[in-house]
Formats: sequence, C-alpha cells, structure tokens
Amino acid sequence: MKNFSIATRQNQNVSILDISGELDAHTASQLENALKSLIDNENYSIVVNCSGLDYIASAGLGVFMAYIEDVRSLGGDIKLTDMNDRVYNVFDLLGFPTLYDILDSEQEALQSFNN
Amino acid sequence: MDNEERQSRFALRTLLETSKMLVESQDPDFVLNNLLLITMGKLLVTRGIILIQNGSENSYRVSKIKGQNSLNEDDLITLPVDESILKKSVIQGTDHPELVEELGLSEEATLFNLRTTNHHLGFLCLGAKGNKQPLAHSELEFIESLAIISSVAIANSRMFQELRLINRKLDRKVHDLHTLLELSKDFNLMVDQDEIARTFKFAMLGQMLIRTFFFALDIDDERSLISSSGLKEKPSQEELKKLYELDDVFYCNEEHDCPFLDKNNIRLVIALRFQNEKIGVVGVGAPANKEEYGSEEVNFLQSLGNLALLAIQKTMLLEERIENKRMEEELELARTIQEGLFPSPVPEISGFDLKATNISSRQVGGDYFDVVETPDGGHILAIADVTGKGVPASLLMANLQSMLHALAPIDITLSAATDSINNIIHHNTPADKFITFFWGKISECGTYFEYVNAGHNNPLLFREGEKKPVELDKGGVILGAMESIMPYESETIELKKNDVLVLYTDGVTESMNPDKTEEYGEERLEACIQNNLTKSSQEIMDAVIEDIKAYSNNTQYDDITLLVIKVS
Repeated sequence: MKNFSIATRQNQNVSILDISGELDAHTASQLENALKSLIDNENYSIVVNCSGLDYIASAGLGVFMAYIEDVRSLGGDIKLTDMNDRVYNVFDLLGFPTLYDILDSEQEALQSFNN
Repeated sequence: MDNEERQSRFALRTLLETSKMLVESQDPDFVLNNLLLITMGKLLVTRGIILIQNGSENSYRVSKIKGQNSLNEDDLITLPVDESILKKSVIQGTDHPELVEELGLSEEATLFNLRTTNHHLGFLCLGAKGNKQPLAHSELEFIESLAIISSVAIANSRMFQELRLINRKLDRKVHDLHTLLELSKDFNLMVDQDEIARTFKFAMLGQMLIRTFFFALDIDDERSLISSSGLKEKPSQEELKKLYELDDVFYCNEEHDCPFLDKNNIRLVIALRFQNEKIGVVGVGAPANKEEYGSEEVNFLQSLGNLALLAIQKTMLLEERIENKRMEEELELARTIQEGLFPSPVPEISGFDLKATNISSRQVGGDYFDVVETPDGGHILAIADVTGKGVPASLLMANLQSMLHALAPIDITLSAATDSINNIIHHNTPADKFITFFWGKISECGTYFEYVNAGHNNPLLFREGEKKPVELDKGGVILGAMESIMPYESETIELKKNDVLVLYTDGVTESMNPDKTEEYGEERLEACIQNNLTKSSQEIMDAVIEDIKAYSNNTQYDDITLLVIKVS
C-alpha cells in the first residue's frame, strides 16, 4: 500500500485537510473522496495543509482542478498551505499559483478566510 | 588637490560603485532606473529618457522617463535612426535635431548609445543641462563609461532571464516526461477500466490546468463517455457520432456541427487510435491560465491518451481471457457431470445384443441415455435430450437421471411414472427448459417391450423382411412444458428374433453437410441401418457414425447419442 494519509479537522467554520505522504495516481481517489464528503456536508471553506506531503503527481493536482470551481461557485475556496519546496515547485511549474491561494502557513489561510 | 582632480576622483568612485551595483543586479529595470537617476543627478539635467529597442530596427519603447515630457513610459515610438547614428557612441542633438525633436527634447540634448560589442540595446537621452552649457569632455567620458557598464549589465541580466526561462521550460518538459513515465507504470498495475479512465482524467486536469474534460470510448461499436469533468451536458448519441468524425487533432474554433463542443466550451479534441482504428476521443476545455494549446500540449495529450487507451485495451483482453477460461472450465464441469450420468459399462441383457454411445460436442449438449435393471428382472432403456447446453443442461439431466433411478424399482406403470416426472420437471424448472424423453421396459422374459415417448425423436424398430421401420411414437408431450392433464399413453410391442431397435437423439439426424444447407435426416439414417441389419449392434452403430462423419465432414455441432439393441 502506498504511503499516503489524509485527516480532517475543523477550525470554526473552516475545514482543514492534513495530507501527508505521496499523492499520486493510486492515492488521488482518497483526496477526491475527502473533498467530496466536505462538499456534501456543505463545508466550502477548505484549507489543505501540505506540511506532511512528500510528493505530488499530476493526478493529485487534477483533483484540486476538478473541485475548485464547484467550491468557489458555492462561495468557498480551497487554500493550500505549508508546502515543502519540492512540492511547491511542481505546483509552480504547472501554473497553479495563478489560480490557487498558496500560503506559507495554515494560520494565514485561516485569517484570510475570516476576513 | 585641485577642483578638477577632486571631481575626477569623485567620478571614478561613482563609476566603481555604480558598476559594482549594476553588474551584480539581475534586474534590468533597476539598472536602467539607476543609470538615468545617476546621470541626471551628476549633470543636473531635468529631463531624461531611456529608450530600449523593441524588436524591429527603428522601433523603441520608452523604458524610463523623468521630467516634463509628452511621452509616457511604455510608449512605442519610431525614430529616424540609421547606421551612421548607431555607429556613434554619443549623438549630439545639434547634429540630429529631427531625432531629439521626436523625443520632445531641445537641441542641447545628448543621446548615448547603449550597446554591447554585438548588440544595440537603446539610448540614454539626456536633456539640456540646467545652465544650457554643452557637456564637458570629462562629463561625456563619464556618462559613456556608465552607459557601457549599464549595457553590459542589462545584456547579462537579459541573458540570465533567458536562461531562467529556458531552464523553466526544461523543467516543465522533464516534468511532462516524468508524468508520462510514472503513469505508464501506474496504468500497468491497474486492471480496472474505470480506475484507468479516472486516473487519466485527473492527470489531464492537473497537467494541463483544465476544468473541462471528456474521454469517450468505442467498445464493440458502442460509444460512450467513460470519464468526464466539468461538463454542463453529456453528448447525445448523435453528437458522439460527430465527435468520432472530426479530424484526429481538431481545434474547436474550426467549423464543425457538434453543438456539444460549444455548449461545454471544449477547445481541443484528439482522436486516439489502436491498430489504426479510432477507438477513443478526448476533449479538453480552455486551460485556466489562458494559454492556447500548442503542438507540445497536443503531443502530451496524445501520448498520455494512447497510454490510457492501451491500458484499457489490455484490461479488456484480460477480461476476455478470464471469461474464456471460465467458460472452458464450465464446459469441462458439464462434461464431467454428463459422463458421470451414463451407465458405465453399458449393462448386458441376456438374449439381446446391446450397444450405446454418446459423442459429446465441444459445447456439451444435454443428451442422456440409460439402461437400468428393475427388481422384477426387466430392463429399462431410456434416452433424453435436454434443452440448452453446458452446466444448466447437465444439471437438469442429472435431475432426470435421479428421478428415473428412484422410480425404476417402484411398481408403477411407465405411464404413471412419466406423469410424475413431467410434473416434477414442470414445477422445478424455468418455463423455457424442456426434455424430450423416451423410455421403455423390456419384460423379464424378453418378449415384450412397453414404452412411452414424451416428445422424443421416434425410435426405429427394424424387422426382418419389412421395408420400413416401425416408429415408436406413442406417448405424449415433451417433459416440463405443462402439467400432466392427459395421462401419457404407453404401447406394448412384441419383440421377435433379429428385430433391431435404434434409439437416437437429434444430434444424429440434424448433423449438417459442410455447406450447412442440408441435414443428415431420417431417410439417410434408415437407409444406413437397413443396409447393415444383418450385422451386430456394434457394427450397425459404427456404420451409422461413420456415415454421419462422412456426411458432415467430421464437423459436429451437437451431442450424438445412439443406442442399438438387437434381439438375438
């Protein structure tokens, strides 16, 4: 089994997903299910804390693409935080920073949701 | 220290510090701004412009502008600049009034050529000094030096930026290749078509930065979407058909008549081929960073699409193989069940020469025959053909066999026993399952044969000296079709020496000629038996089977069962 895990926390009205390990073709569906269930439960303010994320493949990035518009059209957003340089580099190469809020820390993301 | 020397030391120090600062900077904007501010400050000039050549020869972009002027930053202007001007490092406004006029400067203005050994970059333009005096020689030298240093710094930083851009493009290429490689490995491990399609979708969304995506597949001429994202509406069958008619690489701004593409804002449609057949069609919406699709994206999409298609083809072949294997096993099981039901060896009955055989076809039909001794010393002969093939047929056959064996020792008439069997079969099997069944009992003394025919091919009784065989056709409807309302009829015939009774299933008479235009038929069967009547049961049986094989050129579609009994 691939080394990937995902956990959900709640901070007031913001849902925080802690993802760690390797997010690739085999584990992307776990992230998809987690995002889906947040949306189904009407949690649209989502922070994805990537501090434990070691690796991300295109399929993993695709999951974010698939849900961002749904979440935004419902008045929410998906913000990404605490990426290591290697992971950020992949996001950057594919042009994600122009579309997503990618922040240094979870705290910043929480604040920007509360403003 | 006189004034002049102090000034030149100051100039040298400024040059040194500036050059250090400029050369270290990788930001051309910073370099140009500093160049302009330093020179204006040094010469007490109130108007200054930096022009940077913009692509074509005479076109310049206003990069920096200070002081009052009608021009603005980023304006594009065309200047009357020729070779003679470009050769000079300092251009006096008095020599080229038309040039400085274009720039909104007076004739006292001076232009400094910004250039490296190979390239002309632009001009540093300085207006008249505050005291309207021409520039002193030392001042000209100072600015010239600064212009050279700045030009080198700009060229360096441009090169640096260009390298950085190339590096980034390379990084991106490496990432693309890495994605292809990784997914080809991932696909290889997947055996589920949906998982492959879903992974393909997410990889496309992430890699191309898109929201809208569809992947259509043609499986056995059935076209359908197997994965999609962000679609407002699914395509109709008609629209799917149109998607398959588009060019292999189709940009949707070209003319087309598939409304599905416009409704969902699809920008690019790519065909995926397997052995030159168009199996898949992939469509993508606009990239979110607004870049248009170029040949690199098309290549990537085709490569990844083909990987996914191959992986899906592989899973289908695998499924097919598993299915074939399962069927093979099922047939083997049916064959085993069937073989277990036939009496082995076929019992001998004193006063009779009895031989029977079953040649099962590849498909395994539902043929059955049996010979059972009854407690009163009689013998039951039975033959049956169950509808269908394979395991279901052999199970029903097993059912019939156990009923027959249960009823044989009981003292009831054949007719009543047939009623019971029919009712049980009718209640226990689906409406489309029937059995054609014939059974008869040779009396203990061997003189009488009582039979019931429930819809089976009429057994044939050949008698010495008679041209046509007697057909044993008394009985009733096939088993399992309806409940017994009318009792099954039975008939008793007397057996005479050298009588030959032949029981067979339709696999015998329905054997086909090689053209599949004509069946073997009863006439050929009768003739064949008639010609061999004087022989033993084994020989008669062999003759019939040889005749069928010759007629059908050894091609068998159904089970063949034959039972020959001769009164000795």
